[in-house]
Amino acid sequence: MNINIDEFLANISLISLIAIIGISLYGIFARPNIIKKIIALTIFTDAANLLAILVGFRRPPSIPPVLLNLQPSPEDIRYFTQVAVDPLPQALVLTAIVIGMAVNLLIIFIALQVYRLYGTLDVRKVRRLRG
Amino acid sequence: MFEFITIGLTPPLLIAIAFSLPIFTLVVKKKLFYDVYALISLTIALILSLYNYYLVFYVVRGPIVYPFGGWPPPVGIVYEVDALSAYFGVIISVVMLLIGVYSVWYLRGVSGYEWYYTLLLGLEAGMIGCVYTGDAFNLFVMIEVLSVSAYGLVAFYRTSHEAIEAGIKYSLIGATATTVYFIALVFIYGTFGTLNMADIAFKSRTASEFPFSGVVVGNIHLASAIALALSMWTFTFKAAVVPNHFWLPDAHPAAPTPISAALSGLVVKVGVYAIIRFLYTIYGLDTLQPISNVVNLMMKVLIVLGMASALIASALMIVQTDIKRLIAYSTIMHVGFIVAGLSLGTQLGLEAALYHTINHAVGKALLFLSAGVLINAAGSRNIDEISGVGRYLRLTTLTLILAILSLEGLPPLAGFFSKLLLYEAFISSGLAILAAVLIISSAFALLAYIKLLYGAYFKLPTRDFGKIREEWTYLIPLLILTALLVVLGITAPLFVNEVLSPISVELTNPMKYITAAEKVIKVLGG
Repeated sequence: MNINIDEFLANISLISLIAIIGISLYGIFARPNIIKKIIALTIFTDAANLLAILVGFRRPPSIPPVLLNLQPSPEDIRYFTQVAVDPLPQALVLTAIVIGMAVNLLIIFIALQVYRLYGTLDVRKVRRLRG
Repeated sequence: MFEFITIGLTPPLLIAIAFSLPIFTLVVKKKLFYDVYALISLTIALILSLYNYYLVFYVVRGPIVYPFGGWPPPVGIVYEVDALSAYFGVIISVVMLLIGVYSVWYLRGVSGYEWYYTLLLGLEAGMIGCVYTGDAFNLFVMIEVLSVSAYGLVAFYRTSHEAIEAGIKYSLIGATATTVYFIALVFIYGTFGTLNMADIAFKSRTASEFPFSGVVVGNIHLASAIALALSMWTFTFKAAVVPNHFWLPDAHPAAPTPISAALSGLVVKVGVYAIIRFLYTIYGLDTLQPISNVVNLMMKVLIVLGMASALIASALMIVQTDIKRLIAYSTIMHVGFIVAGLSLGTQLGLEAALYHTINHAVGKALLFLSAGVLINAAGSRNIDEISGVGRYLRLTTLTLILAILSLEGLPPLAGFFSKLLLYEAFISSGLAILAAVLIISSAFALLAYIKLLYGAYFKLPTRDFGKIREEWTYLIPLLILTALLVVLGITAPLFVNEVLSPISVELTNPMKYITAAEKVIKVLGG
């Protein structure tokens, strides 16, 4: 029996990605603890980032999007465009990670403030507002 | 290309101004310095956005593209300002300047004003960036800039239980929503090979090759359907349309009053703007067959959700005892009208929705700001406890009544004409039930407003409020907003002809948006 290892790995990563998105959304909406919600949120963001990387990925043989020759010949460039992975999703993910860090820090600060005011991080006990 | 530098300059300049403010906190402590700094920055933003409006409407008479760093559109990030963007930019900067003037009065005796102004300027920079950008990923970045400022401002009173609780609710779900939009972008990039709005618009209509970004890959219909569904979820969250409205009645009242006005009047409108951009420019009813079906379905869903928002929110308005919560529910109702109007897919519906956008932005800001004065004087947000404090603040009560009458739709004021246009748009689309919902929910809202007015003015004062005098610092923005409402109402036919019909014509013919980008590619890309 022949197993195409690349295809197998690609399928595994896609399936696990979808599973991670489902689990993290469950964590954000259903877990009562705010810290666990934040952890689920970071997992969700990372899953989105991984999805972006996968979209720009190329089945092997592939190389990072870096030209090693300082004065590339036309052959080098042709080879490069055939095997290099797409750099744009990586740039998007870098931006998204930086933004995500800022948002996460803010949310963690608010969670800390919740703990200081209420003495608990359980959202069921924090509920005073209604409607 | 580069003669329109103000287009590209406005959002980055505002971001630089906003986030360099914390440096000054090391050396300056005086509140006066921060007041002047914020007012000057807000004035600069107003001048720039008015100039951009002038450029788009009277000089170029079409969309203007500003390519950053001289890179042609699909390669580099561009800002593309068309009539819709310029219109929203002017609304945002006018209302924000008046909110800034009001903040000078509001922040007396409040500590942390330097951070307040930083976040306020960041909020404006994010909003203007959202409406000016011509790149779907840059829209994500700008939404995050605006959201971070909004989370910070909602939780501004960090020792108040209410503010912190609303803040954690808003920020957790808000961060999830923007990540959902990021996933939508991944689907768009995976099939269209681009994130430039003009490029996506071109490919969703022709599926042929665009310079630099090549042809589409894979199944664009499925990917567009997923991307549209995910991004609409995010934008209805930002605009607080019904299933996603749960954060608004907590978050808007918990913030400082000027911020409530900014969030209710302007930030939800950025969600409305993004919905219009996605349903008319990027995708649209004239796209390739399966995609246009999805757009059509999405519009039908949004009509239903918009009407559900109006009914649910107006019914909940009646039972509120907290003034700011009551006004926040009214925001959900009006956004429901706007979303239903723009989802009709007709030019009339679009004009009505855009007209209601500016009337609601001005009217709701006025309502929040004048209610804020009463709340401040009475020291309570409960309708039963403010007991006739309006008798000592007659001018403020007058502006409060005018704001209510405009939102309810009394003829000489602006709100009447936009509700009339909405009504006509619903009837001409053959959806008489929507017109009925419009009237019923307005009637419900009137009950709630009567309760508010009774508590604020007609009830006899039960206690002594001490010495209350009206001050010009907050009366100036209130009176300017009132004047705006009257002027918008009196000039209604002119306004519709001169401002709204060019916008709706441009939105229903998106080829102009695409050719503006192609022209830039020809110049820059050879």
